[in-house]
Amino acid sequence: MRYVRAFGAFWYDFLVGDRPGLFLGPLVALFLAWILLRGGVSAGITGIVLFAAVAGVGALSLFLTARPRA
Amino acid sequence: MQTLVAAVPAFLASVVEFVEALTIVLAVGVTRQWRSTLIGVGGAVLALAVIVGVFGTASVVLVPIEILRLVGGFLLIYGLQWLTKAVLRAGGAKAKHDEAAIYAREVAALRDEPPVPATGMDWISFTVAFKGVLLEGLEVAFIVVTFGASAGQLGPAALGAAVAGVLVLSTGAALHRPLARVPENGLKYAVGLMLVTFGTFWAGEGIGIAWPGSDAVLLVLLAAYLVLSLAGVRAVRAMLTARSLPAALVAKE
Repeated sequence: MRYVRAFGAFWYDFLVGDRPGLFLGPLVALFLAWILLRGGVSAGITGIVLFAAVAGVGALSLFLTARPRA
Repeated sequence: MQTLVAAVPAFLASVVEFVEALTIVLAVGVTRQWRSTLIGVGGAVLALAVIVGVFGTASVVLVPIEILRLVGGFLLIYGLQWLTKAVLRAGGAKAKHDEAAIYAREVAALRDEPPVPATGMDWISFTVAFKGVLLEGLEVAFIVVTFGASAGQLGPAALGAAVAGVLVLSTGAALHRPLARVPENGLKYAVGLMLVTFGTFWAGEGIGIAWPGSDAVLLVLLAAYLVLSLAGVRAVRAMLTARSLPAALVAKE
């Protein structure tokens, strides 16, 4: 059981780590793109939305790390 | 083309990870005992080969390609982590990777350990080397399996990683010191860009996006992520200046 827990902890740290936003963000972006596709939006527009959402997640993460603080 | 798509990112990512593993192995070998260190390295390499063989082959043989493309989602997550860290490093908000400094820290830590036994295995050397190579190698294994499976090119991806391993380890063995001159931070930036680009492409295909222009859109995505990430570097520098913290180390390594 200890090894299973350690294995799980390793993969949690590997994929999520101390920035869970960078784990959840791309998943939310993919879900959003999937909803758009199912709603009949064209592949080109959906692709652009996916790219913009991923870039937005990255930009938000950078801002939260380096932002000016009062 | 597909072969190169799988082999080049796996090669570059593996160079970075193997350089980091080499630093640990050299520190243990030089400070304690080479024989136990090399047995630890061998054990970790064997474990990694089994992991890649079992998970890689099973995923390619048993899982339909449509499902495998969803694995691109993990590549996207992992790549975004690499890329944002690389941008923070380039912008001065995160300490740059310095193999010489890491080597010095490892050596100092190992000198505090109990002395090497006069005969037989030195389990400290074995454990530190095994763990170091396995942990760095698991990142390589993850990239090889996800890239290889998504592109249907497990062999070339594994070959790219193996060539990187042989190149880095043989250079390290010849020089007998950490490869501090390898441009690790630049490589990490490039690998992050590739992982995010291919991750977006394959994960998009996984959810059903038929990309206009097919594979050619990869170049568009790569260029767009490059431009945005360079803008990110400038923005990070500007934010640090606003905080009056030139070369601040905001994020931990």
